[in-house]
Amino acid sequence: MAHAFSRKYAIVGLGVLAGRFPERSPRTLEVEAARLAIEDAGLRRQDIDGAINTRIESGSGESHGWTDSFARILGLPTKFYFTVQRGGAMTHLAIVAAAQLLDLGIAKYVVIGYGANDWSSTRDRSEGRGQRHVERAGLWGRPHGDLAAASHHSFFASRHMHEFGTTSEQLGMVAVSHRQWALLNPDAQMHSRPITLEDYMNSPMLVEPYRMLDCCLVSDSGAAFVMTTAERARDLPKPPVHVLGVGFGEAMQQLWWDKQNYTHLAVDTAKEAAFGQADLGLQDVDVAELYDCFTMEVILQLEGYGWCGVGEGGPFVAAGAIAPGGKLPVNTGGGLLSCQYMADWTPFTEAVIQLRGDGGERQVPGAKVGLVSGHGGEILRPGMCSIHSTLLLGTEV
Amino acid sequence: MAWDKPLPNIDLDNQPFWEGLRRHELLVFRCKRCGASYWPVAYCRGCPAEPFYGNMEWQPASGRGAVFAFNIHRFAFHPSFKEDLPYVYALVTLDEGPNFGTNIIGCDPEDVRVGMRVEVVYEDMQPDEGDPFTLAKFRPI
Repeated sequence: MAHAFSRKYAIVGLGVLAGRFPERSPRTLEVEAARLAIEDAGLRRQDIDGAINTRIESGSGESHGWTDSFARILGLPTKFYFTVQRGGAMTHLAIVAAAQLLDLGIAKYVVIGYGANDWSSTRDRSEGRGQRHVERAGLWGRPHGDLAAASHHSFFASRHMHEFGTTSEQLGMVAVSHRQWALLNPDAQMHSRPITLEDYMNSPMLVEPYRMLDCCLVSDSGAAFVMTTAERARDLPKPPVHVLGVGFGEAMQQLWWDKQNYTHLAVDTAKEAAFGQADLGLQDVDVAELYDCFTMEVILQLEGYGWCGVGEGGPFVAAGAIAPGGKLPVNTGGGLLSCQYMADWTPFTEAVIQLRGDGGERQVPGAKVGLVSGHGGEILRPGMCSIHSTLLLGTEV
Repeated sequence: MAWDKPLPNIDLDNQPFWEGLRRHELLVFRCKRCGASYWPVAYCRGCPAEPFYGNMEWQPASGRGAVFAFNIHRFAFHPSFKEDLPYVYALVTLDEGPNFGTNIIGCDPEDVRVGMRVEVVYEDMQPDEGDPFTLAKFRPI
């Protein structure tokens, strides 16, 4: 039986700006996305009585010091405004918080936002260009040259290749499959840039075993959504996307003390909670929007959720299973690898688009249930990318 | 050795560890009750917790271990590491148990393997500004 939480809340408005906005601050991108989301929901600004800001980073990055809020700038008459901050699982944590505030009757319509200028900030970097996840201060590996997410994240690939014989070509097929989806998505940064496996193998080796094409994109972005009760959602113009279930997992102990081989993410408890609340099974998932910061994370999740056996993710992907036309539609907009980087906002927004039937050429016909995953939240360098989260969204109550 | 790279993050919790490196000692945080070792600081998972790590102390490790996972940097994310390319950043499982993030030196990066036995090497550094410090790197045994 489904949990009382399941299907009680819905996403009713969505605003997404992603790509390159060198002339815009991340705050302005968040404000504008929130404006679009409220408009998309068919609401007026004065209807919004709750606001939540989400951020990836703790203790570093431009947004850390924000003292202003998108809610003030938009003039929203909110009863609360606060920040949810946890890399890679922001939307899922914010949904849990918003649900409670809606349940308590504190708010009727909550807008949740995000803004980043990751691409613009890499254009002018005295410390050298590259990924935005270049740590500024404080974390363990800096003096040893562990300066980028591609470095410590590559330990997942190092271990999986060691234990299961996963190959570069199989990682390459993750990249190629994502790009094939991006070619169907006019909003993807890599929409007009097809790649072959040969292109992947020839792309520059950055942090072996990771090549450039194993790494996600860098984007400027603003994103926002409006959440309300399923009951109120019925009166709004867009087809509601219901929250069916949500769950979380933490692997900080496993990764650091138990050294659980780094071939396993904290999927188990997240999956169990989300599917349990929803009273659904893996076979009910029509689209899987998985957190794909690097290619290996996709393989680990395919195995962790049980779409293929442990250690079999490489051959599964190499057979074309996650590409357009494959048996499991994964990251149908191109994902972090080929659409845009908005952390878990990328898979989240794509799931909403698919479940509304707004996917255009990339639409998965009849998609009713979407799985969104969150991943990340490094606690301690190196390699403690410990959080995993599962969100199930669906079209019908 | 001069130093133009990012500085280590020395804080209240890990200061004894960095002081140990200055003495060329690799310290782990060990439980006085059961002998389990941790790095960095942690309450012992197997024993009752005493206030403020009361049953824990920094003790020298053997300085030996095995490569758990590694990468080969072929791109410098900070310009000061260009001269070091290609270099290896690895997780080494110390013989006492904890994993430790470090560089593998003293061999061709291509020869590094998961499971390879390694031992600690101390490198004393003198930044242009600030106090000297020591890094613990590892080399094949």
